[in-house]
Amino acid sequence: MDYTKQIQEIATRLFAEDKIDVFVGYRLTGFDDNQVPALIRESKDVPLLVFNQKSVFNLSNYLKNDHTRNKRVGLVVKGCDSRSLNLLLTESQVKREKLYVVGIACEGVVDDAGQKMQNCLECMVPAAVVYDELLGEANMERRFIINADIQDMAAKELVQRREYFEEVFENCIRCNACRHSCPLCYCAKCCIDQETATLYNGANTTSSAFHALMTWSLHLAGRCVDCRNCEKACPSHLPLHLFHKWNERVIYENFQEHLAGVHEGDRGAFYKYSMQDPDDFIM
Amino acid sequence: METVTNQLVSIEKPEIVAPPDWQPVIIGILCNWCSYAGSDLTGTSRLQYPPNIRIIRVPCSSRVDTWFLIKSLQTTADGVLVSGCHPGDCHYISGNYFARRRFLVTKKLLNFVGFHENRIQFSWVSAAEGPKFAKVVSKVTEDIKKLGPLHLYKKENFEK
Ligand code: SF4
Ligand code: SF4
Ligand code: SF4
Ligand code: SF4
Repeated sequence: MDYTKQIQEIATRLFAEDKIDVFVGYRLTGFDDNQVPALIRESKDVPLLVFNQKSVFNLSNYLKNDHTRNKRVGLVVKGCDSRSLNLLLTESQVKREKLYVVGIACEGVVDDAGQKMQNCLECMVPAAVVYDELLGEANMERRFIINADIQDMAAKELVQRREYFEEVFENCIRCNACRHSCPLCYCAKCCIDQETATLYNGANTTSSAFHALMTWSLHLAGRCVDCRNCEKACPSHLPLHLFHKWNERVIYENFQEHLAGVHEGDRGAFYKYSMQDPDDFIM
Repeated sequence: METVTNQLVSIEKPEIVAPPDWQPVIIGILCNWCSYAGSDLTGTSRLQYPPNIRIIRVPCSSRVDTWFLIKSLQTTADGVLVSGCHPGDCHYISGNYFARRRFLVTKKLLNFVGFHENRIQFSWVSAAEGPKFAKVVSKVTEDIKKLGPLHLYKKENFEK
């Protein structure tokens, strides 16, 4: 999966036709074969752009900063990224007419060790669902494999799960990188900041991490697209996908197989309801 | 469909031994139109129910942010009860349908990370169901007494 040439051609064309102000893609870090997001503003910088199986980040996260807001943007999206883009469009965070989207039919990306990432092995929607131009085969197979980690965790007893997650919350340093790296966390005032550690309040505790991560993952429930930007950003390497995959599975099983951002105009699971929703847990 | 999320094993060993005079604190979040009126009726009909519940009135069960539940468990509560109008009876037509979805996911997630499922409970109580409200509160109090005090992630454990 190497679309470097095609993406460079598209970007050159868009700049020549004056269709975009900025192109958001990937470039090499300059030290190794890892990649970082690149905001390209002039056609002379276009040769920096690359795309291959090391292009891990979800670029729709870069639609919410000052460099791209209210500008005409060219953007590269893989399958999962296009789902979060779809949600951003539905939630009126970006305007479709200002975007030129290069969709990728994605064959999966790899982590630092060169292994295919877990979310790619379980990828449900590999081909982009929103695009102006698609690179690759549009009719890629969709699958739904239940995440093995949540299955293992669900098979454990309550006390074991509690011990496991206590350690997770303990190791969180409350840096909020997970929130900042998530494309769907765009609130100007975020309610988990209420317990962000400052020099004085000493709020960097297991308790505040519990509060923040639970609130955060519930805000992403029914919206999270499993791009794992959050997990890649976490300096403590916490298994944040456990929360998201669990919520995703609860929602999929109980609310008419809802999957976030797959259909145009489809909102998150908490913004709609059905008469068939389970009621048996309520007295 | 293969389900994984309905098979959580919830056996709890008491976390800490409760002092003999310990009484649980239960935060009860009730909707203004049905459950709060129902609890009023319980009072005016002079029905007895445990005094462990601390009632908070909200306009609608869909006003209950998942955050309220997390905050309650993180601060004083040993358990939370949220109660609203029966499906179809919502004063705002569909509020409780939205709430129902959030409640299920919140309950499952908190159970997943280590809270016993009985610590977060929900009920539908209409304005005419005074006796039901007394029964619900008694049941929740019984459940929580069995589980003992909650000390997981309590704020005061960490802020010294
Ligand atoms: S999750 Fe799917 S779309 Fe996203 S990078 Fe992996 S294979 Fe590609
Ligand atoms: S919560 Fe994480 S995996 Fe989910 S959409 Fe946000 S960054 Fe992606
Ligand atoms: S955690 Fe919630 S409030 Fe904060 S930015 Fe994300 S969605 Fe918004
Ligand atoms: S990125 Fe990791 S360490 Fe930082 S707040 Fe999120 S979970 Fe905690």
